[in-house]
Amino acid sequence: MTAQNQNRRAKRYGMSIDIDKCNGCGACMMACAVENNIPPLPEAANDRRGVTWIRVYKVDNHRPYPERRIAFVPVLCQQCGHDTPCVHVCPQQAVEVDPATGIVGQMPERCLGCRYCMVACPYHARYFNWWDPKWPAGMEKTLNPDVAPRMRGVVEKCNFCHGRWHAAQQKAAAAGKSEIDPADYVPACVEACPTGALRFGDLNDSSSQVAQDAERPESFRLLEKLGTEPKIHYRSQRGWVREIANAPRPEGKDEARG
Amino acid sequence: MTTTRRNLLKFVGGGAAGALLTPAPWRLITDTALWSENWPGIPRPARGEIRARFTHCTLCPAGCAVRARCVNGQPVSLTGVKPHPISHGALCPWGIAGHHLPYHPARVRQGPVKEALAAVARAMDQRSAGERVAVLDLRPGRTVSWTYRRAMAAIENGLYLAPRQPAYSIDLAAAETVVSFGAPLFDGWGTPGNVFAARGNFRLVQIEPVESRTAALADMWLPIRPGTETAMAAALGGETTIAEAARLTGVGEEAIGAVKEAAENGPAVVLAADPSSPLMSLNAKLRALGRTVVARREAPLPEAWKKAAPVTEMAAAPDGAIRVLLIDESLPGGYVPWQEIEPKLAANAVVVVFTSTTEGYARHARYVLPSPVYPEAAEDIGPAIDTVGEVFRIAAPLLAPVVPVVNPGEFVARIAGLPQSDPLRERADAIHQAGRGALLGYADGKSTPAKEVTADNFWKTLNQGGCWMDDTGKKAAPGKLEFIAAGEPPHDELPLMVVAAGGRRGGLAPPLMSKLERESNLRMAANRVALSPADARSNGIENGGRCLLETACGRLSVVATIDAGVPAGVVEVAAGPRIADLCGASPRARVVRA
Amino acid sequence: MLPGPKERMRLVDKEFIARGLRRSSTGRFLLWILPWAALLVFGLYAAALCLVKGLNQTNMDNRFAFGLWIFLDLTVIALGAGAFFTGFLLYILKIDELRAVINSAVVIGLVCYSGAVAVLAVDVGQPLRAWFTFWYPNVHSMLTEVTFCITCYLTVLFIEYLPIVLRNRKLREVPSFLVFEHELHKLIYVLAGVGTFLSFFHQGSLGGLYGVLRGRPFAFREGLAVWPSTFFLFILSAAAVGPSFILLTTWLVEKLARKQLVRPAVFRRLARISGLLLAVYVLAKAVDTLVWINRTSPETGFQAWQYYSWKPFGTWILFAEIVLFGLLPALVMLTPRLRAHTGWLVTAAAMACCGVALNRFVMTVQTLALPTLSFDPFLSYIPSWQEVGTFLAVVAYGVLVYSFSFRYFNLFPEERELRLEAAAQQEEEPALAGRY
Repeated sequence: MTAQNQNRRAKRYGMSIDIDKCNGCGACMMACAVENNIPPLPEAANDRRGVTWIRVYKVDNHRPYPERRIAFVPVLCQQCGHDTPCVHVCPQQAVEVDPATGIVGQMPERCLGCRYCMVACPYHARYFNWWDPKWPAGMEKTLNPDVAPRMRGVVEKCNFCHGRWHAAQQKAAAAGKSEIDPADYVPACVEACPTGALRFGDLNDSSSQVAQDAERPESFRLLEKLGTEPKIHYRSQRGWVREIANAPRPEGKDEARG
Repeated sequence: MTTTRRNLLKFVGGGAAGALLTPAPWRLITDTALWSENWPGIPRPARGEIRARFTHCTLCPAGCAVRARCVNGQPVSLTGVKPHPISHGALCPWGIAGHHLPYHPARVRQGPVKEALAAVARAMDQRSAGERVAVLDLRPGRTVSWTYRRAMAAIENGLYLAPRQPAYSIDLAAAETVVSFGAPLFDGWGTPGNVFAARGNFRLVQIEPVESRTAALADMWLPIRPGTETAMAAALGGETTIAEAARLTGVGEEAIGAVKEAAENGPAVVLAADPSSPLMSLNAKLRALGRTVVARREAPLPEAWKKAAPVTEMAAAPDGAIRVLLIDESLPGGYVPWQEIEPKLAANAVVVVFTSTTEGYARHARYVLPSPVYPEAAEDIGPAIDTVGEVFRIAAPLLAPVVPVVNPGEFVARIAGLPQSDPLRERADAIHQAGRGALLGYADGKSTPAKEVTADNFWKTLNQGGCWMDDTGKKAAPGKLEFIAAGEPPHDELPLMVVAAGGRRGGLAPPLMSKLERESNLRMAANRVALSPADARSNGIENGGRCLLETACGRLSVVATIDAGVPAGVVEVAAGPRIADLCGASPRARVVRA
Repeated sequence: MLPGPKERMRLVDKEFIARGLRRSSTGRFLLWILPWAALLVFGLYAAALCLVKGLNQTNMDNRFAFGLWIFLDLTVIALGAGAFFTGFLLYILKIDELRAVINSAVVIGLVCYSGAVAVLAVDVGQPLRAWFTFWYPNVHSMLTEVTFCITCYLTVLFIEYLPIVLRNRKLREVPSFLVFEHELHKLIYVLAGVGTFLSFFHQGSLGGLYGVLRGRPFAFREGLAVWPSTFFLFILSAAAVGPSFILLTTWLVEKLARKQLVRPAVFRRLARISGLLLAVYVLAKAVDTLVWINRTSPETGFQAWQYYSWKPFGTWILFAEIVLFGLLPALVMLTPRLRAHTGWLVTAAAMACCGVALNRFVMTVQTLALPTLSFDPFLSYIPSWQEVGTFLAVVAYGVLVYSFSFRYFNLFPEERELRLEAAAQQEEEPALAGRY
């Protein structure tokens, strides 16, 4: 890092997600897979082995029909800002928090595949490559040149489309600017969201929409009491939706077994 | 120093020890990590010049504007065009991975073209009087649809068949209350970008038995008993009392009253899952005609085309009279169940289907010819159900077809003996000549009156993702609206009512849809059905268990999902050709454990 | 007449067996070896499948990232703690009775640790990158500590095993081996000390692996400085169960070999040590559990009662771990009247081992089965045959190494004495040929 970089105010990139707008279409999941060269997995893969750096969950209020209500919650790496669980436990330092952006970066080339970080992550935001990547014949032509495909045996996760951050920095440097233009750095999921439920920005910038969303009274983060300081802020006007941020309570669930 | 063995060893040893103090050996050790980074067999993305190209998506009638990021001309990602006034930068999950479709492993890659041509020619020659040659166009309203109509007019006893298109458009921006009887407003209805842009202006009341994605985001969800929509519509239209509707539908009187009041005060629109449903007639009572339900307008046509064959619905075709049937299934669109088609076919009928998937009519047709897949083909996109005003958009191809394909329009034109031409160019010229409307450029979103553009530039801009629009002129009320009367659901002895889930249409789904289906259970795969916990229990069906979906038309092996949002007595199915053949238009079914 | 090949093999075999010890015939030994060798081959095939085709051969997934292998690794390492602890007791605390079992303990420790390391090599997604932990170590990670210590300790075990090998009757005939073994024996106190130190840390770090997991409140514990309470509890439980496992295996070998290998006093000594440590462990564990239920877990927003509301992990599992398989065997092993009976001893030792296995199971499997997000289900996991096969290969490997060691090396120094005493007492009866 140059002295110039160090003098710049550090950013804390985060997202604000409006659950009241998310319709569970899955466009974010598709855009993420396209951007990050994630292959479709073999037939044997199910929802516990899928690689979905962002995954939209369907949650409900545990009431029977017709009082039952559903909502959709996109969950991705929460980019924990404090006592980041995965950073502490990796035996090879393959995970680190970038002080300039706050992004928790994963180095697949360093990863041993011990999966300790996956055990440590309470948000289940980390995914292991159980298979080698294999695209249908010809589909490798559609790979994104800015992201390296990973082989099997390594862990991967959302990195806020770090490749796009680098491209934005290069563009700014080429234009002689010291700060990137926020419009140049938008992760694929946020760009693809058709309802505008996902918003991305610098939480340290009080004028950004994301920072303002985070201050709203109906805003919450998942499992806040764990003290991981996640940077993904969810919000909903519905009280039962805000309850999903808390620890599981088996009482009242019609299925207590997965 | 003398050259003895000892001195040599000392030198080598000293050199080695010294080398350890340099970075060289340590860097070499870390470089060995490269061996374990990527083994052969892991694909490397191609590098090259990166360019943006613009086109429109043809996977559904919305025709959203698309910006393709291309590396050496190969599209590697697709996004929406944010400033576009129609699609507002939105793309749905299918559209986002559309550039993968040409490489779909299950794509139809070859077909007996010469044999098909010969068989069609023979059948056309040998047919008896009264036997028809028909084209079934599953995505009517395109320029190629006019080619089919002209071709069928040129052939004796030619017949142009298409699923009924609504003769109206919905102006969502003008509505304050939207009453939707199961229309998947937020899950594939109309143009998603347009719907979400207008979301803030209207209050949505979703009336359907299952809590769909649309119901989850609606302002109100009325969970009515399946099959009682007509009773609800009658109450909202003032034909019956609210109490009567409450009794029949199971929804509270207060809720129905609130909806009725909202719909009567202020511009409202009623939508239905099937645009031709008689429920749409409620719009007349709510004085929506001319306000939120307006006449559907088509872009200008060359004069010569107006002498084309009329549009006929499958049901209106004479039984046993079709000797040659050509089905254009090249774009995912409506699907007419095979049970409705089969009675219309003559003995020895020659059925040719232009398709890219083996799941649709390829199961029934004699000749399956590979058609181009988005984004390989040049197509145009007609107005969607929520497009007010006239539009003309061309979906320019982003790459050449990767397998040998047959262009359906050219095939049909050939057998009809139509002269070779470029219908899209002719249409564009006709629109340009009409001298009205504006041409919207791609990247900048700048709009220029069509009059001020030359014909060549007009054509060029359209092929670069541009769009012609004319929404001037007063909104006209639609002409006489015809609806298909809903009969009594047959086969009452089957216990479950079938409800189709929104979202999925027919055609090839990008392989990455596994992320939404198998790898996350977010969306129902084509072979899935959803049951209520009570129905699953009484049939001994487990979550994820194999079972058989049985209707009066047959049975299909499916996988069951237990969903507490599905009421007892209902089975929710993923839309698709196999299911459509089995279930037709909302009949009843039974699900048994396999 | 010159001996044929079979006869030659038998003669050579006999030369390697120590003087004064009776072992079964070559043929019978081969008969014993054969099924274990077959199991080893099968297990190696299962492991090869996992290495070649990838970890999709197992039933682990993104939620059950650790499965059967990690659970069994942790258990086996805890049971193999007998190696370092017996060494500590013998060479540092000078409890001379344990000299009777130290060699056996070292072999068991070697087998347990080398087997665990072998399974770990298959368990990781990129075994060729194993050296990265040494090259880019993360000082904050418990797993780095575990890797370093286990590797070093495995080396120590090999070094401790060498003298046992070199003291073989035939190998002693090589002068340099004899000298080497003699010199090595001088280091034995250093090795014992180093081994104890390393073991202390890695047994603890294995507990620390789970205790530091802030994201898994079921496993997370408060502690001392950077070490959560599970660090100390794992050390205690490993030290407690080590002697029990030695007791159990010695008794088993005695039964299979149909010989007396150690004096009964050794068993009782092992049981007393194990019982005492187990009692201390149970007390510490009980206190830790109470703190966890009342303070640590609620502070993270996770009420402790909800962990035990998910079938089948009810509070019975807590009771079983601490009382049934913890307090009960401790009390049995501490009661002199009960200690006098081998039956009680062995049962108590087995129960203690089960208790530690249950504790490791709870920490590895139950932690992952319990949901952390409110919209997650409770998960179940059944290992695939490849996973079970790989572990069976380790078991077979252990039995084979131990069988060879028992046959050719003097694992039980008291065996010869006991045999002579028994022969003197029963001079009328013909000497029973042991099975091995």
